[in-house]
Amino acid sequence: MSDEHSPEYYKKKFIPLIYLVGGILIGGTIITFAADKMGIAEKWGFVNALIFALSVAVVKASAVIYIFMHLKWDIKLKTISITLGCTVIFLIGMMALTVGSEIDYFKPGHEENTWNHVSQPEQEPVPTEK
Amino acid sequence: MEIPYYDKERPDTGLYNGKAGIWLFLASEVMLFGALFSAYVLLRVGAEPGTWSMGLMNQWVGAFNTLILIASSATIVMAWVCLKLNDWKGFRKWKWATVVFAFIFLIVKWSYEWPAKFTHYDVTFVSNESAAKVYTDVLGPKFDEKQSDVWQKRFDPLKKDKEQPSATQVKLKDKPLDGHIVGYIDSEGVKHKVGAAWGIPFWSHAFAWRHDRKNIEKEKDKSIRYDEDGRPVYKEGHFRDTFRDKDIKAIILVPAHGTWDTKEKHANSGTVKYAEAKHDGGHAHSDEHGHTVTIAREDISRLSSYEPAHSTFFATYYTLTGLHALHVLGGILVMLYHLLPVSRRVYEKNPVQFTNRIEITGLFWHFVDLVWIFLFPILYLM
Repeated sequence: MSDEHSPEYYKKKFIPLIYLVGGILIGGTIITFAADKMGIAEKWGFVNALIFALSVAVVKASAVIYIFMHLKWDIKLKTISITLGCTVIFLIGMMALTVGSEIDYFKPGHEENTWNHVSQPEQEPVPTEK
Repeated sequence: MEIPYYDKERPDTGLYNGKAGIWLFLASEVMLFGALFSAYVLLRVGAEPGTWSMGLMNQWVGAFNTLILIASSATIVMAWVCLKLNDWKGFRKWKWATVVFAFIFLIVKWSYEWPAKFTHYDVTFVSNESAAKVYTDVLGPKFDEKQSDVWQKRFDPLKKDKEQPSATQVKLKDKPLDGHIVGYIDSEGVKHKVGAAWGIPFWSHAFAWRHDRKNIEKEKDKSIRYDEDGRPVYKEGHFRDTFRDKDIKAIILVPAHGTWDTKEKHANSGTVKYAEAKHDGGHAHSDEHGHTVTIAREDISRLSSYEPAHSTFFATYYTLTGLHALHVLGGILVMLYHLLPVSRRVYEKNPVQFTNRIEITGLFWHFVDLVWIFLFPILYLM
């Protein structure tokens, strides 16, 4: 941590924070797991369930970064904040580019169902003009 | 020569050099895992219904490993706090706890989870008639409804109960029967058992066998030569084929638990519901493995365990979890180094330097935890 703290601070403030983050992580895991077992993907739809699960993961990750990785105290340091900021922007940009290209998948001529192992109904041959 | 700023903060960055270095390293790690995550999401979102094996992960094991890694993340911070409080014994206690948790994670991953997948097979068939014959043996003559239900749960669960479930659109021969191979019959009709290593169930099954009729048909050079032990000598352009290696004419398969009836126990216990097939006119057999079904080689189109080559899902699963596990292993090695006597000497010589090292290790370890926090929902639950 960038700030030096007294032993009392570690005992009375920091260790309770460790327990708090541990609780958030365990609670988040249980919530995600229970939600999946309750079948939220079937009730809410796949995309909503995915957003829910990833939102819980983001909360858990934020707690780890903020307390365990000392960002609460270190964020004021430009070396860390700029490095972290650039990383997040790069990650979001990269995800947006790749995932965004898939969202735009429905193009003219693109059949909705392209399974190669699905039995296709036989079509009547189109009569050709002579 | 003295390394500058290893225990003091640089005036321009406000950090000691090791910490600035680890943050830059972690940034590069985010790019690495970010690329793999986005590749996974791209493949997952773009997967056609019925091509993504959603129902094959053991979620309880995944959740257990998540909790283990969370615990290790907390214990490594405690180790660092102990050093800040000049408590060497406390540091060693929490550091050992972290190492133990990390080992448990890897043991679960590498000695249970992965081997269990390498012994779990999907079998698809050459024709609908072949498939019907086998499914009749497993489920009885009225196999269709149960078989479709299983397929729907595994490959396209979200479309269940809709007007036209996708299971009805897929050919029967392409709907896999999954299970463990406990034996085979060779070309002379001799029955062989497989595995049976140390009495551990999943090591008593065939491991990473492979057969793909399409691949064999693709081979231009059909002239396989056999060595003195009767093993095929492959040349370039030949595919590895276990049926050819072992001269297999039929496999003996135990249909898997959790697939053919999720409410019942492992097939080995002999309590699975497909056993009722016998009463419905099926031909499932019973032996020490529980209920087995014999499938002739000529009926099998593809036999593949859940190895990376099995499907896009498993290729990405092993890449992501494998790379993550390598990070866990690297973390263990560094943490063990910190528990050696040499580390005690470093600590006594310069406590600030050693405490900084532990902080850096902790930052790396929390990153490993972070990656798993995202891997768990997307690989195991979604």
